[in-house]
Amino acid sequence: MISGRVLNIQHFCTHDGPGIRTTVFLKGCSLRCKWCSNPESIHPKPELAYNPSKCIGKNECGLCLKECPESAIFTVDSDARVGINWDLCTNCGKCVPVCPSIALYQFGREMTVDEVLDEVEQDSSFYHESGGGLTLSGGECQLQPEFSAALLEGAHQRGINTAIETASNVPWAFMERILPHVDTVLHDIKLTDPQRHKKWTGADNTRIRENLKRAYETFPEKTFIARTPIIPGVNDDEEHIRATLEFIRPHKNVIDYELLPYMRFGESKYGFLGRVYEMQDFDPPTAESLARLRAIIDAAFGRESGHKSS
Amino acid sequence: MTTQKKRLAVNVGGGFVPGLNAVLTGVVLAAKELGWEVVGIRDGFDGLLFPERYSDGGLLQLAPQIVENFSAGGSPILGNATRTDPFRVRQVNAENMVEEVDRSGDLIARIAAEKIDAIVSVAGPRALSILLRLHRQGLLTVCVPTSVENDVAATQLSFGFNSALSFTVDMLERVRQAAQAAQKIGVVEVLGEHAGWLALQAGIAVCADAVLIPEIPYDLHAIAARLRHKIDTGQAGGLVVVAEGATPREDALQPAAVAADSFKASLSPGSTGRERSHVIDRSGLVAKAVALELQRWTDHATYSLVLGELVKGGPPTAVDRQLGLAYGAGAVRGVHAGFSGVMVSFQPPDLAFVPLTEAINQTRTVPADGMFMKVARSLGISLGEREVRS
Repeated sequence: MISGRVLNIQHFCTHDGPGIRTTVFLKGCSLRCKWCSNPESIHPKPELAYNPSKCIGKNECGLCLKECPESAIFTVDSDARVGINWDLCTNCGKCVPVCPSIALYQFGREMTVDEVLDEVEQDSSFYHESGGGLTLSGGECQLQPEFSAALLEGAHQRGINTAIETASNVPWAFMERILPHVDTVLHDIKLTDPQRHKKWTGADNTRIRENLKRAYETFPEKTFIARTPIIPGVNDDEEHIRATLEFIRPHKNVIDYELLPYMRFGESKYGFLGRVYEMQDFDPPTAESLARLRAIIDAAFGRESGHKSS
Repeated sequence: MTTQKKRLAVNVGGGFVPGLNAVLTGVVLAAKELGWEVVGIRDGFDGLLFPERYSDGGLLQLAPQIVENFSAGGSPILGNATRTDPFRVRQVNAENMVEEVDRSGDLIARIAAEKIDAIVSVAGPRALSILLRLHRQGLLTVCVPTSVENDVAATQLSFGFNSALSFTVDMLERVRQAAQAAQKIGVVEVLGEHAGWLALQAGIAVCADAVLIPEIPYDLHAIAARLRHKIDTGQAGGLVVVAEGATPREDALQPAAVAADSFKASLSPGSTGRERSHVIDRSGLVAKAVALELQRWTDHATYSLVLGELVKGGPPTAVDRQLGLAYGAGAVRGVHAGFSGVMVSFQPPDLAFVPLTEAINQTRTVPADGMFMKVARSLGISLGEREVRS
């Protein structure tokens, strides 16, 4: 039985494809977008997280202090709760099972295809009513091609509609393996210029664009929806929107282009993982700037402005 | 037959602090006296891990003649890495995928290939742990503690703190005068996530009305009462210094929660926007929250100001120049004496060497009954403690 690394299964999602959906977040990503709101999804393997507000403290517990082989867990006189030295932690996970209050926990677990699908199928009555189904997200769900393909194929066999959310920075062979089992592809187009893409996401977008063009052409029967996470001062300009429209509009199977406003969520998760969030003082886009950019998209799709809000 | 000179490398791991060139000067001059040759590694360990990125190959020869032209207050010549972490080096692989890889083995090999016998690292709190791991892998290293918050354990004074303190005092004095002139209460936020040294020592130096530090959860009622009394007696200006890590007492006034938002919560499990813990705190939030609450409780206009990273620029003070030279020279003496896995520690009036294990996994915080707390209280500076009412 094929298994893969799952971060989380989220029920009753309404933004990840048509209808009411169950979104399965897979672990591992091949980009490092500075605005990432899912830092716990980036690392391919299970990793330690620590929520100090749940720690019982050294006086009543202290079990993790004895368990850590690297002396990466410590206490200071002024605080009963433990601290983590993230620079000494090797992610061995030995402290997780001994923590009674789940202050120490692990993001990501190995699950089989059937385990995931059995949970997804519990929501099937909602899918039928709403036109929803299963969405694979991440991280980058296409980084586990065999697992993702098996999940999506299995969902189809159970009569469940499928969608994926992807940045598409993967070898084409992975996409070729996965896309036959997908009904709707929600894919990001984060920046147009390759160097700027590299600056803000860690890798240039040459292959992403090649993959997308090839996917539109190879799978004409599939539905594609392009998306841009709008980050003020990075990609909230008309130039990017127009360049993206120019890229997608020749392909009739790309049925929409959505803008996702950058939100100020996620930082505490950076703290729980011992990482630093670099965009602490970035602002979300204003409603006016979003409306202006969406009007350009509506015009390109030949529809009235403000037809819907995402 | 002549024995080849031993080769020492110096690098900076941790944020920039004023006067880093003073440490380099100390290293170079002391090394000359002891017969060592010195090279500087650019940008933490990047100069060795990514030599192709540098026109000089990532290593800078630091001959004694070079330091003749150094100015201690001049721009830093080596560059620094905020995170010198060879255990998690981010790179793009052949498949254009970004990944973090452990390159500590490569680094040790590069150090050997460059015939570097030992390394002096000017290191902030996090870099000290990384240097300890490298030491365990066989790297000979002596560290110099640097922190503008003076929160490195096992030393009385980290390099950079005195310059930050001096600048902070200067700025607070201006804010105090401006607040008096405008008849307002100025609330100034300074660095100090876990330790309140900067806020407390600077606050004492300018006789602030109140100083809020992470070590003492604060009660704004107490501070507001004092400020009201001051205003009622005709002194309409005020100054409150807040460390960024200061938090309110659990049973006292809390800063207002940020309102929930109904947008699609990006793409994130848990990022619903309804839970306070998932909303990003902006920098300067503490000063803003305190200023707002004080205005509510005193009925007197307040304003907030964040010094934050500003303290990391500018020229070093006389104390930091001397300390930097002493730390640099001391580290070289330590290397020469065969120490490794240690940090130079200032234990007045001497320099000592302490194992890195004593410096990590701890934060040097302000002791509750220490001298600075006593001084502050005796000057009538409120520390946000609940006042005992008779």
